[in-house]
Amino acid sequence: MNYARPTPALAIHDLQKSYGDLHALKGVSFGLQRGERLAFLGPNGAGKTTLIRCLAGLTNADHGKIFLSGRPFKSHEAKQHIGFVPQEIALYADLTTRQNLEAFGRFNGLRRRQLRDRLAWALQWTGLEDRADEMVGAFSGGMQRRVNLACGVMHEPRILLLDEPTVGVDPQSRQRIFTMLDELSATGTSILLTTHHLDEAEERSDRIVILDKGMVVADGSIEELVERSVGTQRLVRLRIDRPLSSPIRAGVAEGAASFGTQGEDEISTRIDDVSSHLPGLIELVRRRGYGIADVQVEAPSLHHVFLHLTGYELRD
Amino acid sequence: MILTVIQISCRRLLHNRVELLLTFLVPIAFFSIFAVIFGGGLGRGTTPRIKVVAVDEIQSVVSRNVMSAIADQESLRFVREHDADGLERDEAMELVRSGSATMAIVLHNDHGQLAAGLMADASDQVAAQVVSAVVNRSMMLSEAEYQVSQIADSDQDENENKVAVDAEGDQSDELFGIEESLQRKVEIIDVMGEGKANPVVSMYASGIAVMFLLFGATGGGGALLEERENQTLDRLLSTQMSMDQLLLGKWFYMTSVGVLQVGVMFLWAQVVFKVDLIGHLDGFLMMTVVTALAASAFGLFLATLCKSRGQLNGLSVILILTMSALGGSMVPRYLMSDELQQFGLWTFNAWALDGYTKVFWRELPVEALAPQLGVLMISGVVFLLAARVLAVRWETD
Repeated sequence: MNYARPTPALAIHDLQKSYGDLHALKGVSFGLQRGERLAFLGPNGAGKTTLIRCLAGLTNADHGKIFLSGRPFKSHEAKQHIGFVPQEIALYADLTTRQNLEAFGRFNGLRRRQLRDRLAWALQWTGLEDRADEMVGAFSGGMQRRVNLACGVMHEPRILLLDEPTVGVDPQSRQRIFTMLDELSATGTSILLTTHHLDEAEERSDRIVILDKGMVVADGSIEELVERSVGTQRLVRLRIDRPLSSPIRAGVAEGAASFGTQGEDEISTRIDDVSSHLPGLIELVRRRGYGIADVQVEAPSLHHVFLHLTGYELRD
Repeated sequence: MILTVIQISCRRLLHNRVELLLTFLVPIAFFSIFAVIFGGGLGRGTTPRIKVVAVDEIQSVVSRNVMSAIADQESLRFVREHDADGLERDEAMELVRSGSATMAIVLHNDHGQLAAGLMADASDQVAAQVVSAVVNRSMMLSEAEYQVSQIADSDQDENENKVAVDAEGDQSDELFGIEESLQRKVEIIDVMGEGKANPVVSMYASGIAVMFLLFGATGGGGALLEERENQTLDRLLSTQMSMDQLLLGKWFYMTSVGVLQVGVMFLWAQVVFKVDLIGHLDGFLMMTVVTALAASAFGLFLATLCKSRGQLNGLSVILILTMSALGGSMVPRYLMSDELQQFGLWTFNAWALDGYTKVFWRELPVEALAPQLGVLMISGVVFLLAARVLAVRWETD
């Protein structure tokens, strides 16, 4: 793990938290740089929510330290610099967009001109200027999510904690929400995002931390995680026109590689370099008298990394 | 299909403990509470005794006999000894006005004849009838005994040989005459309601007002649980606002709404039922603000005690209706046994209603509200502190 970079916006060292006999966090450590987008992943019950609650000042850790821009975490001070957006639509459905934004702006210490300025910004940022005076309860899920998000950043936090910000929204709204987050990130806001959408995490984050059973099991960019866990080889699947009569051998010498299983009409294998090795494999299969019906090449993804690191066992 | 719908509904009911409780246990609980209150199950043998004081302005043999006979009545409770020295008519009336006694019995001389004036607090409509009957009977019997003894002495002197049957006939005639005359000699005087336009309505208005203050307060407390359930509370606590500020904000809001609610209700009572709100504005405001503060704190306490809105709904309905029944919001407490009346003092309703009664009915100065204001304020603060302590778990779980 890389803590060598100067003064991360957020640094967590050996954080531990237990609820009775349940050890939710068993010494979690990682950092978050200024403007970095970090995807915080883990199976259900891994300890993600506990960590988020510790960072949001909603619960105290039993052990360990949190630093904000190099300074020890103090709950009251931290609240000025951290924005928290819960998974639920935590808004007043019977208030308008403007009234919700104003309320959470005030709760976060904004007053008068500053509040007016941020209110105008938030309405523009969410694209809800023309719906400012409508009740939030009447909005679609995507619109409510945007207001939910805006309420968490009214006070311009340095760090934004997002718990599943795109649950239950359509792809268009999801795209809009991530565009909004990219804008925040570009202005220097560090974003810690928990999600079960692995494709989202892979595409929309600079770094990934995977938590399992209260411990960090992976920390790095997607390329680093792939290299360290499942490797960079591509999975190739060839569907042939009839079942194999016997496995296809690459040569006559003893120990030569063989492909496929007798009686199956699909050949799967991993190759290092698709451009140089795949044509040879296809040629080999053809030379054995089989026709190629379909070719699939699958790059190792976060999905593979995640399952490789956390296993296939159900957690709840 | 229909069978499946019934089956699913039954299963859901069995899985929902709160609903199950509300469906079967709450009606039993209410039935039991009301049976205890009105059926005399609790405090049996201690039927309501009417608080009286008595003044004997004549001090004759007959009047002393009447006083003794009244004192022996189990249905009456003397708040001052009936032979207490120096108790004057004015002082006795003051005891009625202040609520220490429901009725003052004043035996006085009416053109040479024994008469009784019953200085009544007309808010207790039953007491006047009961005491009137008791005094009538006591006067009749005492005077009859006296007359009989006089007749007997006279007969013995004039004609000792006259047959007993004649004498009995004479006695009957005399008794009949006494009864007739006494009917006219017991007079009920309302020392509270005279000159007031529809005064009892204010009592019912306050009873209903307190009950709805409690319902409103638990509804407001429920908003806190709703915020907890949809994570708004987490979000609020992650801002610069503290739990102290949140609870105080809700407390003041719920109190303001409560004061407004009761204010509107009494304004309506003034316009439609001629309750003199404007004339008692100072006492009304004091009682309403303090009662609303206490009720709001109670609502927050219940909300922080419960885990869900469902739990709160069940618990609040049971508690509020029970408190309203025991505290006099549904039926006047003077109809309850002494034991239940004392028990009722553990409820908001009883203290609040006593306060409103002092304001609108007894028209006492605001200083007289000190016990009620004190108890309600202290209970409000205690409930608020209890709510704060219970809310700690939401900050640290």
